[in-house]
Amino acid sequence: MTRHILTICVLSVASLSAQAPQGQQQPSDFKGVVRKNLAPISNEILRVKFPKPTETKLKNGMTLLVIEDHRSPTISVEIAMPFSGLNEPMESYGLSSATAEMLTLGTKTLNAREIAEKLADLGASMGASTGERYSYIRFSGLTENLDPLIALLQDVLLNPSFPQDELDKWKARMLANLKVARSQPQFLAAERFQAVLYPSDIRAMIAPTPESIAKITREAVVEFYNKNFRPDGGLVAVSGDTSAKQIAAKLDSILGEWKGAPPKQPDLPMREAIAEKKIYLIHRPNSVQTIFNIGNRAIDRRSPDYIPAMVMNRVLGQGPAARLFRNIREDKGYTYGIGSNFSASHFRNHFQLDTSVRTEVTGPALEEILKEFRDIRDRGVPAEELDLAKRALVASFALGTESPAMAIRNALTIREYGFPADYWDTYPEKVMKVTTEDVQRVAKKYVPMDNLQIIAVGDAAKIRETLAKFGPVEEWDAEGQKVK
Amino acid sequence: MPQKSCCVALLLFATGLLAQPPVPPVKFTDTRLENGLRVIIAEDHYAPVYAISVSYGVGSKDERKGRTGFAHLFEHMMFKGSEKVGPGEHFFLTFNYGGSMNGTTDADRTLYFEILPKNQLDLGLFLEADRMRSLAITKENLENQRQAVKEERRMGLDNQPYGRTFERADELIYDNFAYKHSVIGSMEDLDAATVDDVKEFFRIYYAPNNAVLALVGDLDTKETLAKVKQYFGSIPRQEQPKPVDLTEPPSKAERREKLDDKLARAPLLLMAYRIPPAKSDDTAALLGLANLFGGGPSSRLYQKLVKEKEVCAQVFANTATRIGTGQFRIMCLVRPGKTLEEAEALISEEVAKLHSAPVSEAELKRMHTSVRRTHIGIRTSVLTRANWLADTAVMHNDPNMINSNLEKALAVTAADIQRVAKAHLRTDNRIVLHTSPAQGGPQLAGPPPAPGAKPPATQPKPAAQ
Repeated sequence: MTRHILTICVLSVASLSAQAPQGQQQPSDFKGVVRKNLAPISNEILRVKFPKPTETKLKNGMTLLVIEDHRSPTISVEIAMPFSGLNEPMESYGLSSATAEMLTLGTKTLNAREIAEKLADLGASMGASTGERYSYIRFSGLTENLDPLIALLQDVLLNPSFPQDELDKWKARMLANLKVARSQPQFLAAERFQAVLYPSDIRAMIAPTPESIAKITREAVVEFYNKNFRPDGGLVAVSGDTSAKQIAAKLDSILGEWKGAPPKQPDLPMREAIAEKKIYLIHRPNSVQTIFNIGNRAIDRRSPDYIPAMVMNRVLGQGPAARLFRNIREDKGYTYGIGSNFSASHFRNHFQLDTSVRTEVTGPALEEILKEFRDIRDRGVPAEELDLAKRALVASFALGTESPAMAIRNALTIREYGFPADYWDTYPEKVMKVTTEDVQRVAKKYVPMDNLQIIAVGDAAKIRETLAKFGPVEEWDAEGQKVK
Repeated sequence: MPQKSCCVALLLFATGLLAQPPVPPVKFTDTRLENGLRVIIAEDHYAPVYAISVSYGVGSKDERKGRTGFAHLFEHMMFKGSEKVGPGEHFFLTFNYGGSMNGTTDADRTLYFEILPKNQLDLGLFLEADRMRSLAITKENLENQRQAVKEERRMGLDNQPYGRTFERADELIYDNFAYKHSVIGSMEDLDAATVDDVKEFFRIYYAPNNAVLALVGDLDTKETLAKVKQYFGSIPRQEQPKPVDLTEPPSKAERREKLDDKLARAPLLLMAYRIPPAKSDDTAALLGLANLFGGGPSSRLYQKLVKEKEVCAQVFANTATRIGTGQFRIMCLVRPGKTLEEAEALISEEVAKLHSAPVSEAELKRMHTSVRRTHIGIRTSVLTRANWLADTAVMHNDPNMINSNLEKALAVTAADIQRVAKAHLRTDNRIVLHTSPAQGGPQLAGPPPAPGAKPPATQPKPAAQ
């Protein structure tokens, strides 16, 4: 058993005290909670370091990252190829995911059913998916079956046959599932929100359309595969019951000859926030709730404001201890859940609030949300609330050490964004240095007010007039079409 | 030639062992305090965290008529303050000090859990002990949680396609009121709940002798047990609640219904068979049966109905066990251009095959492998283990089910699976629900009861992110 706590130290948080007298803060700071301050708490923040993966090179030049974890006889392998799923034509949207999914639906020697049965026989799961900067093929399974799994990985990655009938079946399944997705209000909200934030390029789409599915041909799939599924600049991340040496040898035996570079990353504009306030009302007949997605463009992952923004959001909207939850659920009872977050990556840069409220309180709920937005922009966060938010961010790191998955993710983040090797080691210090002024500055900059983008999915007849009080309303139907 | 066959058997056994290393058992201590609280502790020093789970022997089965949804509403009240913990302070402290937490209610039990950094052991114990000892409920707190729960119902059922279908399935398959209503409850009954109801429920069901406390993680068993005694030891025992009668009169004929769903865009077929209580000898085989029948892309239903016939967009089979009568459920989302009748006929054909012939050795072995992997997964998270230990102890008086379930599953034979299929997957023992998208626009909208997705009351509580 390897212990992953390398250092335990106490971060001094001068103003923090378990028995902080209640009278010190303004009553509105902790709306929705009554603090008796009688619980025994440890003021020590358990500071953990994530294990760093062993890093070597495979024969074909790919980087190999390994975290050994011998607690159970399982292994996870993730091959990250440096091509973007966003690199596909909008008119045939879905091509990249069709190509990825087709890998496990036929090789030169195995048909789809045989692959599914083989995986089940080996106690494993395997699948490919495309992402923003990297696309992946992953498997996880029982270590005792590692050799046959590696052989199967080689087969699906390097010898896919893309059977025409399997592609036809995939397209038919996708059409049927799309129809079901459109009955879900969260889908309709996300569809409009992405289209508003990232207009006119591929990021506007969250799912294929019947038209784009029709344009996906076997020829296009084969071409997409040949062009993109290449290793140069990619990496392989492994965790589980193995050693770097053992897994390197096995991977070299199947990937040694796999070479070549995928096309360049897409060039997608990262725009400033939208200037004009607008409300998009999506009419979903028979709805008894209004689903809200509220936000605007904000920061990407490399922004120097990222860490202050995380602290600000911990105060405002992340989790049940945050203001939005305490006020709108606990104090008002308007919702079952509410939260906000930053989608900050290479190609996404937005701030987003999600909630659903009963139709009757659509107006009051929106007012309260805006009140919280206004408050965090206009008033400095009180010292105790800020300290608790920072403490929460740092202290929760301990929970991430239970599985090597978090350590792998953290290592990949460092590579993906070119961060220094000690990025995560110094992250807690950076969090603790964030000041009330920092929080207010990023709140003013990234929490929208005069330029709110509001998506509301619900029964238009019942909420149209209410929403109009908050700004100009544009109506859409549940098929994704503009009404007027 | 007995000797020879003996050798062959030994050899097979030996290679079997080589190919399938045993899953290490979960070791734990099992102690009962004087006030009846059962305490289970399992050490795991891999990460500096621990999980604390408290499972109470009360669920929607214990609700009376006119108070459906109450057990779950009560669960919300457990976050609204006790003698030394203010309303909302429970999650405020848990999240601010690096942890995470939730609660969940089903028909049989109510479970509360936290996962925290190891230096906050006292915090977790204190929070759970204080609300077990001294829940402090006001009318205002009840009112706002009533609203939150009604919102939970809307989000999970009334504003989602098929919500009503899942609720109706329980109403149709059971005759005994205990299981015949949904966990989330009706809006009317939620409105009827009073502060006195909350107090009474607390007194009867939230006593140490009706609960199990499980702690798993970076702990020292002796030291932890001493702390448990310190925090929980003085909470008084109450009279043991009367177990509710869960017996169902035998089902004599198939029950079927058609539902119109104003939010759905595709028909949904739901079939459910009654199965015996979780502790029955048939459970392991039924779990195995669901796995190979409808548990993923290699399963019979997926291959036949999704891939070959292209009738279902998605298909599932699962075994949901309870203290009393459980359910073996099959669901198919029907594709455009296909019908509920086609789907039902094909599924019935597949069920008939289970009756007429044993599953293949390959399928059986596949199922065994899948179960092993699942159980290995259960063992990696401290929270999953704590929840399992607390739940199985409170519901079945048997925390060792985390180990024995695996042994039983690995002992299931093809003959067992055929036997349980014949015994329980019978037409006269099932319900069939056909849900179709309703015709017409919003002007046809009537008052609820309306649709939704999965029974949400068993979902995590504060759902913000």
